[in-house]
Amino acid sequence: MADVKEIKNINDVPREELITGGTFACSGCNAILGKKLAIKALGKNTIIVNATGCMTLTASNRFTPYKVPWVFNAIENAASTASGILMGLKAQGKDKDANVMCYAGDGSSYEIGLQSLSGMVQRRENIIYICYNNSSFANTGFQHSSATPYGARTTTTPVGKNNPVGNLLPRRHLAKVMAASGAAYVATASTSYPFDYIRKLQKAAKVEGAKFIDLLTPCMPGWLIKDDEGIKVGKMMVETGIWPLYEIENGIFKLSKEPEMKPVEEALKLQGRFNHLSKREIEKIQGIINKEWELIKAGRYWEANEY
Amino acid sequence: MKELLDGNESAAYAVRLSKVKCIPCFPITPTTSMIELFAKWKTDGLLNAEFSQLESEHSVMSAAFGSALTGARTFTATSSQGLLLMHEILYNVSGCRLPIVMANVSRGVSAPLTLWCDHGDILAVRDSGWIIFMSETNQEVMDSVIMSYKIAESTLLPVIVNMDGFIQSYTRTEVEVPSQKLVDGFLPSINLRFKINMDKPVTYAAPAMEDYMFYKSQLHKAHLDSFKAIKRVQAEWSRLTKRKYDLAESYRLRDAESAIVMMGANSTVCKAAVDALRKKNKKGGLLRIRLYRPFPEKEISNALKNVKNIAVLDQNISPGCGGILYNDIRSLLKKSRVSDYVFGLGGKSISQKEIIEVFNDMSKSSKEEKKWLM
Repeated sequence: MADVKEIKNINDVPREELITGGTFACSGCNAILGKKLAIKALGKNTIIVNATGCMTLTASNRFTPYKVPWVFNAIENAASTASGILMGLKAQGKDKDANVMCYAGDGSSYEIGLQSLSGMVQRRENIIYICYNNSSFANTGFQHSSATPYGARTTTTPVGKNNPVGNLLPRRHLAKVMAASGAAYVATASTSYPFDYIRKLQKAAKVEGAKFIDLLTPCMPGWLIKDDEGIKVGKMMVETGIWPLYEIENGIFKLSKEPEMKPVEEALKLQGRFNHLSKREIEKIQGIINKEWELIKAGRYWEANEY
Repeated sequence: MKELLDGNESAAYAVRLSKVKCIPCFPITPTTSMIELFAKWKTDGLLNAEFSQLESEHSVMSAAFGSALTGARTFTATSSQGLLLMHEILYNVSGCRLPIVMANVSRGVSAPLTLWCDHGDILAVRDSGWIIFMSETNQEVMDSVIMSYKIAESTLLPVIVNMDGFIQSYTRTEVEVPSQKLVDGFLPSINLRFKINMDKPVTYAAPAMEDYMFYKSQLHKAHLDSFKAIKRVQAEWSRLTKRKYDLAESYRLRDAESAIVMMGANSTVCKAAVDALRKKNKKGGLLRIRLYRPFPEKEISNALKNVKNIAVLDQNISPGCGGILYNDIRSLLKKSRVSDYVFGLGGKSISQKEIIEVFNDMSKSSKEEKKWLM
């Protein structure tokens, strides 16, 4: 890992944009915002490895917004491509000159790329892996992934006569999987809390080993939210306790923020993907979240699972 | 220096002599002893390279993609199911023009599961944009891996050196190991113009728009242009070692009336059959295809232009179509009579006697035969 300039307050955040505007990202996209913040936190000596997804289509052979090296390979192998890049840098004695960072969606990280991600983490590769979590296969048009929360409507978990709920499966807790696989540092983050996110990235850069950050990035067309409400929705997801912000360092779980525990309905009602839910279903989701927080508060985070 | 080496060891020695810097690997029969040797050498301080065992062949090829992109000389090896798992990324490697060299140890593809050799694996990736050498002997594996780095790095095309599972990979034969000095003089250090450089950030492998076809046409052109580089490198190697390699090897073909066309280690059996026929004054010959992609059409047409009877021995099958090499040769030699014999699937052995029967068969028949030797 290359040296990273410490950011203590808003004045330390670099003004320079190493990812310029004018990409194909949707209006209000939080995933590209998360990527920009990551490069601000990690600096220009960062190599971005992208998996297939929304963020791949930010560049083309004709134009690129990236002022840092950017590599794309396929959907399921951002982690192993990054492992190879690190291997090549090591072989030439250059691994101290660059941060290798993966930026892959939840469709890649939670699903098809889980094997290569798990391998990279188990090998303790000195790589920062950020999963930008829009809770679906967003680039192909919002299909269900194992990051999709219970009750969300996606194009492969539609709502109809036989299923008034939408997605019936609980989501995977990938952060826990990564911690159990041997990640040196694991965190969840949200684009609505940029300083918490930047702090976690900078901490990750200092830790030796594999680092995993699950970054919640509200998706306008997928979550059916207004272009200017991404930050608001992300905030509500945290404040209602649906998306807990925490870190796991050396197996020790630490909450980053005590949420206000507003009713989950406050977050759900902002998102069209939940607007089919009955009162009973919303109560059920509230029950799931309450149970999870009971366990977190009791220091039994590892037992929490959305059932 | 002469050593007794199997095919896996021959490839490993060649990799060490070529001063490869990155070796991502995954074990698979019948390749495994090669990667074990890398691990042993690395542990004993005999190999100055990064060695990593990843969790799948898909990840191995992805990591090879990554390490080659940093400008490090990269090698890996696989076989059969492993090659098929890599298949997707093979296209990314050739599309990004990364000069990776890989050894594939041919083994039939499941189901049913087989550990033994046929060319179903390597021929499944024939359209992936890699240069493909089909070797016959362990010496050829050794020489081809070293030559392949020079070819790959001058043409910016990845290369697969293929050998036959067990018949080569686990059978020791006498192999001349070139000196480090000779290889150093032959193979310059790698210097890629386009590699990850923090001072000159570049966007790699970005999606193409309507000009996708342009890139593919360039890849095809690079393959056609690579004949020249391959011939040049082989000639240089032959000057240094006195070992001569052609794109397609003609064996007693000059005055042959009947010829077999085939690839791989079983060509040795065919050579013995040709010798036996010649003793009885029967004019048989062999054309062994060494370079399979790019396909050396000119050399093949020239070698076979005066041959009356041609049979292709295919150690593979494209179900519903026939032998794959047969179809290549068939479409090339429009006016000749070409017969198709499928043999050796899943390692079924072929004898000299059976090959002699093929020679007799094709000279008797006036039509194109399509038979299975089983």
